[in-house]
Amino acid sequence: MCVAWPEEYGGRGLTGVEVAIMNEEFARARVPRLTRGMGESLVGPAVIAHASKDQKSRILPPIINGEHVYCQGFSEPDAGSDLAGLRTRGDVVDGELIITGQKVWTSGYYEANWMFCLVRTDPNMSRHRGISYVLLPLEVEGHPNGVEFRPITRMTGKALFAETFLTEARAPLENVIGDLHQGWPVAMTTLGNERGGSATTQHVAFERQFWRLVEKVRTRGLHEDVRVREQLAWAYERIQVIKATGLGLVAELASGRPATSVANGSTSKVRWSEFQQQFLEIALELVGHEALVTGEDYALSEWQEEFLATRSHTIWGGTAEVQRNIIGERVLGLPKEPRPANQEGSR
Amino acid sequence: MSLAITSDQTDLRDTTRRFLAATTPITRVRETMTSPTAFDEVLWRQLTQDLGLPGLAVPEEDGGAGLSLQDLSYVAEECGRVLAPGPLISTCGLAVPLLLASGDEEARRTWLPRLVSGEIGTVAWQQLPSRDWKLRPSVVKAVPNPNSARRWYLTGELSPVLDGGVADILFVIADTDNGQAVVAVDGTEVGVTRNILPNFDQTRGLGRVSLHSAPGTLVGHVGQGAELLAATLDVAAVLLAAEMIGGAQACLDMSVAYAKVRHQFGRPIGSFQAIKHKCAEVLVDIEGARAAARYAAWCAVEDPATLPTAATVAKASAAKAFFRAAAENVQIHGGIGATWEHDAHLYLKRAQASQSMFGNVGADRRRLADLIGI
Repeated sequence: MCVAWPEEYGGRGLTGVEVAIMNEEFARARVPRLTRGMGESLVGPAVIAHASKDQKSRILPPIINGEHVYCQGFSEPDAGSDLAGLRTRGDVVDGELIITGQKVWTSGYYEANWMFCLVRTDPNMSRHRGISYVLLPLEVEGHPNGVEFRPITRMTGKALFAETFLTEARAPLENVIGDLHQGWPVAMTTLGNERGGSATTQHVAFERQFWRLVEKVRTRGLHEDVRVREQLAWAYERIQVIKATGLGLVAELASGRPATSVANGSTSKVRWSEFQQQFLEIALELVGHEALVTGEDYALSEWQEEFLATRSHTIWGGTAEVQRNIIGERVLGLPKEPRPANQEGSR
Repeated sequence: MSLAITSDQTDLRDTTRRFLAATTPITRVRETMTSPTAFDEVLWRQLTQDLGLPGLAVPEEDGGAGLSLQDLSYVAEECGRVLAPGPLISTCGLAVPLLLASGDEEARRTWLPRLVSGEIGTVAWQQLPSRDWKLRPSVVKAVPNPNSARRWYLTGELSPVLDGGVADILFVIADTDNGQAVVAVDGTEVGVTRNILPNFDQTRGLGRVSLHSAPGTLVGHVGQGAELLAATLDVAAVLLAAEMIGGAQACLDMSVAYAKVRHQFGRPIGSFQAIKHKCAEVLVDIEGARAAARYAAWCAVEDPATLPTAATVAKASAAKAFFRAAAENVQIHGGIGATWEHDAHLYLKRAQASQSMFGNVGADRRRLADLIGI
């Protein structure tokens, strides 16, 4: 559990290479690796990088033992790609943050008892300042804490997200990670981890899905069609490229070079998310009329479900367009787009 | 050997980069383009004498430096970056690997020292680019010399042959009554006519080779032709992929540099997402292709059974990345990018010609489908 965290915080202190090997072995054995979800992959790294010693000893152990399960409260109806435009307020009153506002695309809400969220604690500071990163309990001593979820049904027909309404929800100031008003860099640590994701192991699942499609194509007798063979070979080629970039990353880590940078996460995300969309487009074409019919109660086939689900892969965690901006500006050093004057100053 | 670059490889890459910067500015490439051979003899002599390029991946017992295909790939990437005109792919990517794959000790002893010393080698076969990757019956027929089992006479014409107009040593895939064979022919022998073809990509040499009862020596054994060619092309594909990635990176570097300084509508054009996103997409492609090429070179050393698949993936993805980088580079430069004066077209032509070398991307994918057993 939380094997990538340093040992002093209850992890195993595994290196990037070791984590990659472990993930790949789990993937190969088709055993889902039990993790602590966003608490492990997103909250932990941000806390380890930015929190005080006391906070670490308070926040990390309940993640490891499964007591605290987190959901994410970043996006808002008017702050998606432009995350720094967020408006949920956190007012400091008697050593507490009183939080009021609305969040959206809250994933994992149905099993969470905590939320890590970004709130505006100083509306007079410029956009990226005046934001705080706070851990908010969904209940306090068994009583609701002013957090209400309304599930959002995705185009697959399933609800994995919610809209979240915050009405005077309370979090002690000790739960603010990084300094008050200085939550933006903490959020960037979280986002970097979200994009880097499983760059070194995802190819195993992609390849398995690829061979399932090949089987499907064989049963339909299409596998000797030259155009179909070229389409499938294209997909295999892309999977091998994704695998090679993952292996290259592991080799870089093993040779002692710096760990995954923000930029690396962005190129990797563009590559795999767009591959998945194109692959599922091909899949729906190749499964033929099966793509047209569902089961009772809109029960979807693997191909239908994945086809729909992958449409959002280029949206969450920073859209494909935001990733391209990051690559252009932070890796290639291209100039930023000038911002309209009214966004620069105070709000 | 690691998949990540080692400090020795970093040194080799940096030495090559400095060497090429000093010897092969783009003005020099342009001079070579206007020469009839598309071959810079002086540069090749320098690359041979100062860097030992043709012998880098030749075992020490054959007079080479005993380095790996991984090492050589870093050199190829640098050569591609500056469009170095010369027989890198033909000699180091085709002739040397064919001899190493042949298991023919006598052929190795005969030909490798000549190649290491700077003679140009190439492999000549019936290429059907863009149609099929499989070897077809050769148009060159070989008949045995009744007095010597190793000596054969070749008749037929092959075109285009990479560096076929200038090659000193030609390894010809020819048909015999008992299957295909590789026959080594000295370019200066009676019965060998080498013609230089006017080339779309003027930075690389293509030729037509006509053989009229030209005498040659068997490499390996009769019937081994297809197998040797396939093994050779896997190595050539890896080297070509590395060279293409160097070219692609040069295009992206040019695009980014220009997008930072060229102003329109009062801002650098690189601040517009339309331009910025093109550059980002090219980088995503190059990064992926580079990883695939490095993995393929690693397979050549560590996991030869995987090489055919990895080499095909590397070649196809590098070809796509290079073409996109070169085409976007023209677009990002606007009007000036479409002129003869600007260097963008040199890369565009190299990219276009390279992507159909040894079979185009479609052929690569059909081969891949066969290899993985779809």
